[in-house]
Amino acid sequence: MLGRLRMDVDIAIRYYDDLAERVFSERKLWGDGKFKATKLEWIIKSAVKEVTGKADSPLMENEGVGSGFCRT
Amino acid sequence: MSANIPTLFRTYQSHETYTECTIWEAARATSAAPTFFKRIEIGRRQPFIDGGLGRNNPSLLVLEEAKKLFGARQIGCLVSIGTGQGNIISIQKPGLFQRIIPTNVISALRSIATDCEETHEEVLKRFGSLPNTYFRLNVEHGMQGIRLAEWERLGNVRAHTEHYMKKQEVDEKLTLLVAAIRDRRRQLTIGQFGMDKELMDLNHCSSFFLSFSPASTRIYAMCQRAQALSTPSCIICRTKGHS
Repeated sequence: MLGRLRMDVDIAIRYYDDLAERVFSERKLWGDGKFKATKLEWIIKSAVKEVTGKADSPLMENEGVGSGFCRT
Repeated sequence: MSANIPTLFRTYQSHETYTECTIWEAARATSAAPTFFKRIEIGRRQPFIDGGLGRNNPSLLVLEEAKKLFGARQIGCLVSIGTGQGNIISIQKPGLFQRIIPTNVISALRSIATDCEETHEEVLKRFGSLPNTYFRLNVEHGMQGIRLAEWERLGNVRAHTEHYMKKQEVDEKLTLLVAAIRDRRRQLTIGQFGMDKELMDLNHCSSFFLSFSPASTRIYAMCQRAQALSTPSCIICRTKGHS
């Protein structure tokens, strides 16, 4: 969030608060893991889309970003 | 799962093997804490679980990575930010569907606290002779009982973190930290830490990334305000809690 998405801290906290509430407020009744991974994925993808324009943006940043930036 | 070799998801080019993936896949793989979310497969059907299994404090890993990346360049400071003392990921007895997770993984989870503290001590030793170069911030009280999934208590996390940052000793540490970042003193090269031997001993773990963490994000805010984010000589790593 802070690194690759370059969110500022207040925005990152807002996104985390929202994510935590939506992901952890519902428990799965059966299956591997207590919470729904699909829901987590959907929320992460929508955040990535809001920031970068597309949900499937690669983790690798463009070469042109320069060495002065934060690396994650 | 390949529990012995950690995978680093990088946003930059490196000489290491490149794991091609999207932002959401990296985020998902590194939050795949066993018993919380099912594991995820990326690329050649390679399953990933969260690096909490033995890499809760990635300080040494980060130093090694910085050495590869920046070579002989000098280091200004290392800032390590914990998520509060206590077991943030509180692991309970595995249920019916978690029994596929090996027992050694479960015991690795139980040792999260020890893992963090030991790494901190090790880094402290390496930076020992250099004043104001290594900083560890970690909320000391109040976080023990708050579990990862307890979103209703994020307000408590905020309160405990703010209280911690107002303590006199922490406030003094923060002042020194901000000065260290701003001054950009370059005291020693990354290679001078003699890390290679210890890094050969890294054991359990599968993936590594900066995890979501409200407490460390709040402390990180202070570093951002000190304009640390664009300072290449400053290494900031966030870790899980210790006790």
